[in-house]
This record gives sequence, C-alpha cells and structure tokens, in this order.
Amino acid sequence: MSRTRVVFFVIVGAAVLIVLIGLAAGGVFEQGPSALVPPTPPGPIEIRIVAASTIYPWVDEAASAFNSEEHIMEGQPIRVQVVPMDGLEALRRFDAQTMEIPTAWIPESRYLVELVNAVYKPQMGRDVFLTDGEYRARPIAISLLAWGVYQSRARVLEEAFGEINWQALHDAAVAQDGWPGIGGPADWGYFKLLIPSPNRNIAGLSAMISAAGEYFGRPDISVADVMDEDFQQWLYELMSAVPEFSSAGAYPGESLALFGPSGGEVGQLLESDILTHMAGAAQRWGEPLLVYYPRFVTWFDYPFTIWIGPETTAAEKNAALEFEHYLLSLEVQTRAVNYGLRPVHDQVGVDLPDSPFVEWEEYGVVTVVPRYTAMRSPSRDVLETFLTWFERNIAER
Amino acid sequence: MGDVREPRVTLTGLIGLAVVVSVLVVFCCMAWFAVQKLSSWMGIDLTSGGEPEDSATLVVAYSPEKAELFLELVENFNSAGHTSADGTPLRIRAVELSPQGMVDGAIGGEFQAVSPDSSFWLSQMDAAYADYIGHDDALLVTQQVRYAVSPVVIVMWRDEAEDMGWPRRPLGWSDLLERARSDPDFRWSHPSTSSAAGLLATLAEFYAGAGKTRDLTIYDVQDQYTLDYVAELERTVSYYGEGEWAVARQIAEQGRGYLDAFVGQEQLVIYLNRLGYDLVAVYPQEGTFWEDHPLALLDLNLTDIQRLTFRRFAEYITGPEAQQLVLEHGYRPADLTVDLEGEGSPFVGTDAVDPSQPQSVLQMPGGQVIEVVLDVWWYTKRPTDVFLVVDTSGSMEGEKLERVRDALTVFINGIRGDRDRVGLVEFYDYPVLRNQLSVLSPSQRLALQNTINSLEAGGGTALLDGVAMAYSLLQTNPDPERIHAIVVMTDGIENSSTLSFGELATRISQGNQTGVPVVIFAVAYGDDADYDTLERLVGITGGRVWEGTPANIRNLYQIISTYF
Repeated sequence: MSRTRVVFFVIVGAAVLIVLIGLAAGGVFEQGPSALVPPTPPGPIEIRIVAASTIYPWVDEAASAFNSEEHIMEGQPIRVQVVPMDGLEALRRFDAQTMEIPTAWIPESRYLVELVNAVYKPQMGRDVFLTDGEYRARPIAISLLAWGVYQSRARVLEEAFGEINWQALHDAAVAQDGWPGIGGPADWGYFKLLIPSPNRNIAGLSAMISAAGEYFGRPDISVADVMDEDFQQWLYELMSAVPEFSSAGAYPGESLALFGPSGGEVGQLLESDILTHMAGAAQRWGEPLLVYYPRFVTWFDYPFTIWIGPETTAAEKNAALEFEHYLLSLEVQTRAVNYGLRPVHDQVGVDLPDSPFVEWEEYGVVTVVPRYTAMRSPSRDVLETFLTWFERNIAER
Repeated sequence: MGDVREPRVTLTGLIGLAVVVSVLVVFCCMAWFAVQKLSSWMGIDLTSGGEPEDSATLVVAYSPEKAELFLELVENFNSAGHTSADGTPLRIRAVELSPQGMVDGAIGGEFQAVSPDSSFWLSQMDAAYADYIGHDDALLVTQQVRYAVSPVVIVMWRDEAEDMGWPRRPLGWSDLLERARSDPDFRWSHPSTSSAAGLLATLAEFYAGAGKTRDLTIYDVQDQYTLDYVAELERTVSYYGEGEWAVARQIAEQGRGYLDAFVGQEQLVIYLNRLGYDLVAVYPQEGTFWEDHPLALLDLNLTDIQRLTFRRFAEYITGPEAQQLVLEHGYRPADLTVDLEGEGSPFVGTDAVDPSQPQSVLQMPGGQVIEVVLDVWWYTKRPTDVFLVVDTSGSMEGEKLERVRDALTVFINGIRGDRDRVGLVEFYDYPVLRNQLSVLSPSQRLALQNTINSLEAGGGTALLDGVAMAYSLLQTNPDPERIHAIVVMTDGIENSSTLSFGELATRISQGNQTGVPVVIFAVAYGDDADYDTLERLVGITGGRVWEGTPANIRNLYQIISTYF
C-alpha cells in the first residue's frame, strides 16, 4: 500500500470516528437524565368536551373531580377539559366549519346533534355523532323551559289576565302605556320580556317555537305556520317587549337576576337556569321569582355525544365514554340536582330535602312535571324559517 | 515553458492536517450540542430569530372607564403565579382601548380577549368578523363571563339635582334636556358614541324626541321633529369626549366648576364622592342601559395555553376575592351572593346611589337603526370650529414631524360630516396661518391634507404667539352655536413669542367672558415639551393636556377628535 493510500484511509477513519463520537454524544445529550432513570410513562389522554352553557357548571365540576381521581385507561391517565358553548353557537360553528372538533359534545337537545349530522353527512358519507351503538348519544340530565316572573309583576299579570301564558304576555306587551295599561305602576315603564337571543341560544329559539305551539294550539309547527302573517304579527308584537338580545345570549338566567326587573320582568328560560338564580335574584332585588310552566313543554335532554370522525383517536373516544359513565354515576347524578337539573338516573330524585326543587316549591317549582303536552322537535326547515324571520324582523328592528 | 514544481505532500504533513481537521470538527460538534442544550434550557427558539415565544401570555383589551379596577385584577392575577400543568406561567397583559377601537381591531390579532363596557360591542365584533371572512354564521366571540355591572346614570352635583326635584320625584332624560335648554349656564356633557354611555345618551335623545321608550325605528330617527329636537339638545352640550372616565378625571382635578352633569356609569359617583365631592346618581325614569363589562375570548389563532390562561383569569375575576374587590371599587359584583347592602359596601350609608334602581332599561334598537342614529347624529350634534396649532420648530425634524403629519391626517379623518370647520396655524420663529377655518368639504379636506404633507421643521418655538393667532381668529365673527376649540401641539420650550404668558392668559380669560368660550387642548410631545406651561394654558379654559410620544401621537389625535 502506497503512503498516499495510507494517508487516505487514516483521514477517512478519523472522519468516521468523529461522526461516531458525535452521534454517541448526541444520544447522551438527548437522553439526558433519562439515561439514568426509568423511562417516563406516556402522557395523559386529553379529551375536550364542549358543553352547553346551562349544563357547563355541573359538567365542569364533575370534570375537576374526575381529573383529581386520576382515572387510568390503558396505563394512561385521562384529563378532561370542558368548554362552555351554547348548542346553537356550536351548530353555527359546525356549519361554518370553524369548530375545533371536540372529543364529545353535550348540546341542550338531541335534535341539534341530528342537525350537525345533516351538515356533515353529505361530505363524510356518514354520521359524525352516532345515534346507536356503544358511542350513541345518551341523555345525561334533563331540563325544560319555564317562566321566571318577578313576584310583584306576577301579581299584576295574574290580576289582569287570570293566568300567565304566552297570550297574557303578548297582551301585556301591546298594552297602551305599558304597565299602567294593565294595572301596574308607571315607574315600571313598558312590559319587559327576557328571552335569550334566538340566533345564539337554543332556549331563545325554542321559546319562539313554544309560543307558536300555544298560538296554534298544537305541539308540531310547520314552515307554513311560521309563514302565517297573523302569527308573524302576533309574534312581532310579543318580541317587541324584549329590551335587548346582545347581553342575554350567553347567560340569560344570570341576566334575569343581575339586572332585575329593569332588564326583564318575565323570562322564559331553562328551569335549571332559573333555579340556579332564584336565591341571587331575591337577594339582589329584594323580591323572589315565581316559576310557571307553559302548556306546551319544551324538554332539553343534554345528550352526551362522542365525535366519531378521524380527528380524535380511539383512546380519546374511549376516554370520553369513561367520562360519560362517570357523569351517569349515582354520585354525580345526585350533584346535578344542586344545579337545578333533573337527573336521568332512575335512583336519583329531585325531592330530597336540600334539593332546590323542594326549596323553591312554594314559589311554583314542581318536583314532578304534570303531563303537559310536549313540543315536538322542529325540522331544520322550521328552525331556519324562524331564524330568518327573527334576523329580518327583530334583530334588525 | 518555465519550470513548474509540483507541491510535495509528506505523510507527516497529512497526518498533522488530519489531526487539526479532526480537532476542529470535534470542537464544532461539541459547541453545537452545547448551544442546542443551552437554548433549550433558556427556552429560546433558534429558528425564530432568537426571541422567546410567549404563547402563554393572553393580551386583553379593556375599556378605559374601568382601568383602576381592571389593572388591579390583572396585577393580582399575575402576581399569584398561576402556571399550567407543565409549569408554564399563565400571564395577562392588559391594553387600554375604546370599545369602538376593539371592534376595529378585533380581527387584527393584537389581542385575544376583550373587556369592553357593554356586551353590545361583542355583537359588533361578531358582525365585523362575519363580514371579514364572508360567512354569516362565523363567530369571533366565544367564551364570556361577567364580573362587574353598573347602570348608566346621569351624574349630577347634589344641589343641581335637588333644584330639579331630586329625590322627591323621579328625574329622567327629559328633565335633563329641558334644564339644558332653559338654562344657558347649565353645562353638561356626554361621551362620544364610541362608548356605551355615549351611545346610550345619544339613543336616549332620539327616544325622547320620538316620544318612545321602545320600538325606535329608522322612520322615527329620520323624522324632522326628532331631528330638530336632538339638534336643539346637542346645542347645549359643552363638548363631547373620549369617554366617561376622562370626564371623571377632569372633575376629580377641577371640581365643581367643570360641569353640572354628565352621563356615565353609577360607579363614577362612588369614585368621585370618595374624593370628597357631593354627586348623586340620577336613574333616568324613561330607562337606561347597563354597562355589563363582559370578559370575552376571541376565537382567532388561540394557543391551548392562552385558552387556559383565559379560563384561569375568568375563574379568578368571578371568584370571591376579586368580587369583593369589584364591590370595593363601586361596581355591582356579578356574583349575586355578594350583598350590596352588607357591611362596608359603598352602597350603604349614602343616598347618592340606590341599589334598588334602575327600574327600566331603554330598548336597544337593531343594528340598522343604530347605524342610522350614529350617522344622523353627525348632522345634529353641535358643530365645531377647531384650530390645529402645530409646532414645526427645528427640534421637530425627522421622525417626530413625520408621525405628527400622520396623526393630523387621522384627526381630520375622524371629523365626519360637513358641518365642522377646521383651520391650521403653524408656528416656529413666528406663527403662520396656513389654513383659514373652513368647512371640511372634500376640496377643503384636500387643501388641509396638502398643508399637512408640506409641513417642514426649522427655527424657534413661538408657542404663545401661535395660540394667540388661533384664538383671535376663533373670536372673529364667531358663531355662538358652535363649540370653539384649539388643539395645540409642541415638543419644546417657548423661546420666540412676542407675547408673555401673562398677556396671553389675560387675553383668553377676558375673551372667554366677552366673546365665545374657547377650550384649549394640548399635546406635550416628547420629553422636552414644556408640560407646565401647557397645563397652565389649558387650565384657563377647562381643557386638557396629553403626553404624546412618536409611538402614541396617532392614537392621541384620534382620541382628541372624539371631543368634537
């Protein structure tokens, strides 16, 4: 071998050695302390639950308890994060494809799930939230629309109209000179109705549908009903009593209690939302709310629905299922009652001594809802017709 | 052909070379690993220019009227050392912005959350976003909470309110407006419509003109009787302004003589009375609005850690400690378990505020009606004659003057409609009238813009002569129906005027008595500006001084334009 070749191999050898040293050093640096200690376990399974604002406080409290209990799945801890969002807002975000896909969604009503499935089915070829099987949507609590009425106003309304229903509220809304026109004092001003913004909050949209049910005397509303000119005039007059929609969209029960009769003397809201704010309203304004139930009842079943698309992993879907079972457990269902929700667990009643249903019974709250007629879920066409009418006639009034 | 010698390669030389190269490569590898490790430990991202990326900080824009409360809440939150599960600090950075500024900047990404004075603005942000991305269903505002509320009231000195019958009988917008019409000495103000209080006051005038408390329509707004009514009322406004907090600060500094009444939130009555004043909150019997101070997250390129920061901050400001602080500041806490009439509450032991009020709100009209109200307001509000007095001395050379040109442009763009008159006086060794007062028609706007573009720096600082020239011109054949004002800006110390300060002060004091009242607003621009002289100058007329820098001068002139 010539001297030149020896030199060549020496240089190549040195270069290889340097590379090997480098790789070894890199490996040591990269591993750092882990070279000396056992490997760390894989990170937690993080799931994101989008929950309707009216059920959020209960679900969030349950998530905190769940997280602190260190639930493990396949060797990994589960971490639950809950994001509040009204069902209608979520629907709009799904529609606009601006929704960050959650692991699971708890809207106010099952028919919102069906509406989202209808949005995605044409492009995905299947439902994104299953309605049967292990991952099917299951109700986790129940509530219904009811009226919360400040006591002083309730007395005048009952005196004037005999009972409190949509027609009485309509007549109060069109009374000449407002409250003085139906026997109230002048400083109450005009009659003020609080319902959440129908284009942001499903309870607001449902309130309009409930009013339609009473107007037509039946629980199923068609597009033709919504287009009826006499009905539209009647609904316009009723909705003219709503002072504003912008601040009542997110937390209508809080608005009813926080602004008192000045912002809304009568509110049609979820029963749970009213119950949660009964004490606060009485404390802040010195008079309680009385609760009344409409003739046509609108139920909200809060379905826990797991996203089936590929945006979430199988482990995340199973973790969501685990959390769903937790929400349905006896202990967590019992805690739902404190939030004014009616549990779905057949062994949990709402008539325990410290239940808000019992505490406020003398103010009109009932533990067992009488067999009123339930409003039927409207079709997407009916919803859209209502929303279009609202946008054109009320939101832009 | 010459003798060319081939270089001779020796074994020793090659081995030496190899050793040197090897040592260098090993050294470079070690250095590279060291830098990588150090940068990792220090949190520096080497691929993004060396600056640490602070994705955990949530920038929150808040409206000025609650600055004291909000900044205290933010400070408490930041100092509590909240962290994420992996130890990342969760921090809030607060930036002050008018609600209209939030609407204008919401899609710019400079802040991720907002706390305006009213939820009304959140709807405006959603609408602006939907418009921006071209999808009606798009929503920008996501999670929101309330932490403090306060009703909009008419803030009045007790003796004025008692003169009008308070508290024996309920007072309202119509009483205020009647008083303003019948008493030429009665001075009142409402903020511009870029805040909830200003918007309410404007809407209340249109409601009063239309004789309604709800169902205000575009037809009502454009009805000639309503327009005349509003115009007559607006003639009684002393001047407008950027917000209720600016008025409150002026009252805090100047006391009883500043104004007889202004429109603002109830909390300001508590705030000012703590300073020793005797003001009362009049809850308008026709109805009012609530400032509900939402904290809302904007769903635009948020990091997970920013969402977590929002959540923690929302939990903090609605929690018991913060809610107590909210009450101490004179707001009604959103937590309904906090008793407004409990021990130590600012609502107890005073009749200046009444927690059982208000009884009614005015109905908030839809977006189209509000748009028409705002548009029409420009044609009914009190018109203004304003002189811009601009320092172009030598010290203004370069970037300083460039920023001022930009700010002056913003100012004239902020004056809408074609009823206000604007003029411009430039001063250096002496004052020069560059643009006579003239209505801002398109051609006059262009002429004024050309003047602004042509401003050059050089010479001394004849500040007092410049103000004197503008003042004389405003007092020449004045229209008493108009607001008369001077906006003077200087970056240096007076050194070239023929007038002394005393002479000018006397001239203004006497002129404001015998002629029309002229208000002077001043911008002390940069570190060398003579703040004291400006403060004394504006003090004669009840105006105000702002401290300007090249960074804020644009925003400052935008704010000043809201006074007209």
